[in-house]
Amino acid sequence: MVEDKRIVIENLTTRYPGTEQPQLRQINAEVHTGQVVGIIGNSHSGKSTLCRVLAGVIPKIVSAEIEGDWHMLGRRVSDGWRAYNAMTGVVLQNPAGQLSGLADTVADEIAFDLINQGMAEGLIQKRVVEVATQMGLIEQLNLRPESLSGGQIQRLAIATAIAANPAVLIMDDPTSEMDPLGRRQFFQWLAQVKETNVFIVTSEIDDLCEVGDVVWVLNEGQMVAQGRPGEVFNHLAADWQIPAPTIQQLAQKMDWHLADGRYPVNDAELKEARYVHN
Amino acid sequence: MSTIELNHLTFTYPERSFSLDVEDEHFADPMVAIVGQNGAGKSTLFKLLTGLLTPQTGVIKIDGEDFNDLKPVEKLLKVGITFQNPDDQLFNPTVQQEVEWSVAQVMDDHDTITRRALEALKRVGLDDKTAENPYDLSLSERKLLSVATVLAVDPAIYLFDEPMMSLDWESRRKLTAIFHQLADSGHQVVTITHDMDWVAAEFESVYVMEHGKFGFAGSPRDLFSDHELVQRVGLLPPRIMAVAESLGDSRTYLSVNDYWQKNRDI
Repeated sequence: MVEDKRIVIENLTTRYPGTEQPQLRQINAEVHTGQVVGIIGNSHSGKSTLCRVLAGVIPKIVSAEIEGDWHMLGRRVSDGWRAYNAMTGVVLQNPAGQLSGLADTVADEIAFDLINQGMAEGLIQKRVVEVATQMGLIEQLNLRPESLSGGQIQRLAIATAIAANPAVLIMDDPTSEMDPLGRRQFFQWLAQVKETNVFIVTSEIDDLCEVGDVVWVLNEGQMVAQGRPGEVFNHLAADWQIPAPTIQQLAQKMDWHLADGRYPVNDAELKEARYVHN
Repeated sequence: MSTIELNHLTFTYPERSFSLDVEDEHFADPMVAIVGQNGAGKSTLFKLLTGLLTPQTGVIKIDGEDFNDLKPVEKLLKVGITFQNPDDQLFNPTVQQEVEWSVAQVMDDHDTITRRALEALKRVGLDDKTAENPYDLSLSERKLLSVATVLAVDPAIYLFDEPMMSLDWESRRKLTAIFHQLADSGHQVVTITHDMDWVAAEFESVYVMEHGKFGFAGSPRDLFSDHELVQRVGLLPPRIMAVAESLGDSRTYLSVNDYWQKNRDI
């Protein structure tokens, strides 16, 4: 059998019980292995609902009426929750709420899933140090999780989500409480993540244009644009109320454009526009 | 405009190594940003300014009066705070009741309480959600609701702890406009923030906290021109400076517009 390396969403509509309007309407999308997908949009656009669907939280934990279908790497939630859940790492909007509450230390919290999976003790310790280093938590390993700052708790939630090497990583606004240096370190880490499918809801569009392969724009539950960052941000509609990235704003002001007439949205494109075409 | 003066202020938490130590500081501008790394003392300072903590030594003076000598209602009318996490301050069953509860802490007249609550909700754009439960709102809307609870009381000084955090773009624009309206109408707005682009573009006065002390007070341009200081206190310059830097230009820019004005002829 050929391995399915796609993540596919087909005509997906979801509605929470007791609500009149659907939160997602007729979403269609397909992405391939190893892509970083940025999900952007204003309040009530459906970003968090889409994260819950991809994570399988809907319908497994939060109930909702669902029409349409989605599958990731050939699996559906209905094929078996264990396998689906093992495939995903998830960071939700309130990171403190997803910590186990059972761990005495940051190290134990990161190890939690690995212990559940029956990984050998020595390997667990090695992996905990590895992900703590990636998330800048190495000095906090022996602290109690509840003593951490908001930004550190977000980094801990990411560390626990990536500890078991999930094939799909889903993060809802994971840097909202980080200070500027923490945010920069996070996106530097994300830039070097390979072979993992990443879905990230973020308002940090400058960083997204540097690391994202694909951007999905949601507006009132509909997917109103999807494509490479340079395509999407060069065709923003005013009613989406999404700003252009800083580089694009600058290029528009200075009239620096690329060979195809688009404005650059990231550093590599800026240099191309500035030194090759202008 | 009301003014805040801090004189020889010290505060130490029991069983923690952190201590706040402010010699003499005076927030004189209508819009003041306080920046610094996590753990620098920014939130502790706000807790002192609202009376949630009491300094071990020193005095906080607002319009020349010792803040700790004021009655509770007088304190609420002098200083109002919006916390970082709106869920720390929302607990009523409806949006309107949430705002009315705040106003009821400073006055008794029902009609005025309701009028003020509705005016404040209109100002933040939540006037069509008055009957909803606060926890049915999005996080951005809950933050705006927490702002409305303070707007309705209308204190002389507004403190905001990370107001831009978790806000969508539409709400950011709305809140920035409210900040300027408050400053223009004789209020003082003091905000803690990690958003350097916002500080650079919107503020004239910025204070840097470092290990419980103020390490800098001045304009954003002076702050971001001091590369050594910015690095030492763990800040990042505004995004436009990183963009300029990648084009080999290490001068100080506060916004895209600032860059354009200085470079439009190249």
